[in-house]
Amino acid sequence: MVKIEFHDPSGRLEVTTPHAPRLASLEGKRIGFVSNEQWQAYRMLPLLKETLEADFPAIEVLPVDAFPQGNALIPTEETAALVEKSGVDAVIVGNAA
Amino acid sequence: MKNAVSGLGLAPDAAMVTFPIELFLPGSDIASVRARKREFYDGLTRWKSEFAGAAPGEKPLLSVEAASHEEALFKANNLLLTSLWGDGLPLWPATRTRVDWILKGSVLPRTHVLGKFPPRGGVTTIETCAIALAMAGGRPEYLPVLVAAVDACLDTESGFDQLQATSGGPFPAVIVNGPIRKQIRLNSGFGCLGPDPQHPAGASIGRALRLLQQNVGGALPGTGTMAIFGAMRYTNAVFGEDEDGLPPGWLPHAAERHGFASGSDSISLVFASGVTNIRRRGAKKETPEEDILNGLHRMADFMRTPNLAALAGYEKGTPGIMMIPPVVAQTMAGLGWTKPSVREFLWEHSRIPLEQMRRAGAPAWIEIDANPVTRASIDLDPWPICTKPDNIVFLVAGGSHPTHSQWLQAHSPRVTGRMITLPESFDRLLADADRDLGCGDDVCLV
Repeated sequence: MVKIEFHDPSGRLEVTTPHAPRLASLEGKRIGFVSNEQWQAYRMLPLLKETLEADFPAIEVLPVDAFPQGNALIPTEETAALVEKSGVDAVIVGNAA
Repeated sequence: MKNAVSGLGLAPDAAMVTFPIELFLPGSDIASVRARKREFYDGLTRWKSEFAGAAPGEKPLLSVEAASHEEALFKANNLLLTSLWGDGLPLWPATRTRVDWILKGSVLPRTHVLGKFPPRGGVTTIETCAIALAMAGGRPEYLPVLVAAVDACLDTESGFDQLQATSGGPFPAVIVNGPIRKQIRLNSGFGCLGPDPQHPAGASIGRALRLLQQNVGGALPGTGTMAIFGAMRYTNAVFGEDEDGLPPGWLPHAAERHGFASGSDSISLVFASGVTNIRRRGAKKETPEEDILNGLHRMADFMRTPNLAALAGYEKGTPGIMMIPPVVAQTMAGLGWTKPSVREFLWEHSRIPLEQMRRAGAPAWIEIDANPVTRASIDLDPWPICTKPDNIVFLVAGGSHPTHSQWLQAHSPRVTGRMITLPESFDRLLADADRDLGCGDDVCLV
């Protein structure tokens, strides 16, 4: 028998930041959107806001444009600081495709 | 995109709700957003990462066994393909022996970390590069160029994370200056953007870079990269500027763009999104002056298009690479043209009338650009395709034949330069190449 051993070419993955803890419930929570303003975000995210508000009467969902929008602005430290300062419990990030 | 978050240091899975592309088109029926609301709610409340974490230490070697070497090689290639690590062409399995051989081309230790390859975020070491180069059929003397190119890609200013993923499918074009381009048999002459058995370095280096983009960076078509067409993605474009063909007084690209000393080894990284051939030469009686001027106008005509992907590099990158063959450069220089004056001409004559921009819907893209300098350009009529002539990359390369120019339109926020560092044993590696491939000097080549 001939045996060939060779390297896995995919490189290691390092997890340095845990995903944010999930909420126990959405009731009474403050939710924000971070939007790249593309791919029908202007229709889909308001629909999601409306749906959340209908299903969770005590929820507060911030307007879609509460934070800077667009691919260039949403990954910035400035946007992250604004999100943190707003006191939201969670954000929905969209729309990618 | 299914793997973008791991490049940020998070576990590679994420709470995502994904929909078919039709939902994202203008006028679509978005009722399914409401119908699948539970997935959004679960994502915020119940979702847990299923990523168990990478095992510490070196990854175990893969292994295949068969009755013959040929059969084992066949099985190894099948394993690489079914693991989504191949490109459809035959691969060299990256055995310890082959990778150790390739590593002779590095001055840095194999464990040296260059960075995380976006968007997937695979940790990229010198060994990771050597593995890709081994798979791509490369040689140790190619490794310094590959490492410099990877280092440039991983520069946070390069915009590489988005370029890897975007639907336009930009590909790295790596321009090499300095003696190394000839020493390692990198093409700068006839067919410099394609295969050449006498100049095999560009194909291997570019293919290795592509394998890294896919296997370490996760740019797998349809999930890790949304490149709709994905042109030039087997080997990218790795080639040399023909410095021997530069007329007196014309500086190499690396010296002009990056300030690197003439005669030093370096790479310059541009992300291109297409290659267009331009029939530059005239057809009938014409003077040298007419030949050059008509050809320059024809080149500018090809550049005078609203390539909206190039907005990414409007201020600090480039709208593209214009390549002319050395024989044309010599004629130009004889008539008093210089690289800067050619760029000035091309910039001036590639300006687009605003009416043409309007009918193409181009102003809307300029209005939403993140860069205020780009946004402000909307007031200019005719609209220049970049802020200044020096943004245009203008090279002398290709076969010494006067008929064509080549325009590589760009999607390149920056043009990133890197010096190439050679190991002390480099001359020995070149001698080994002569032994294996025959004499590589100009006098020996066909």
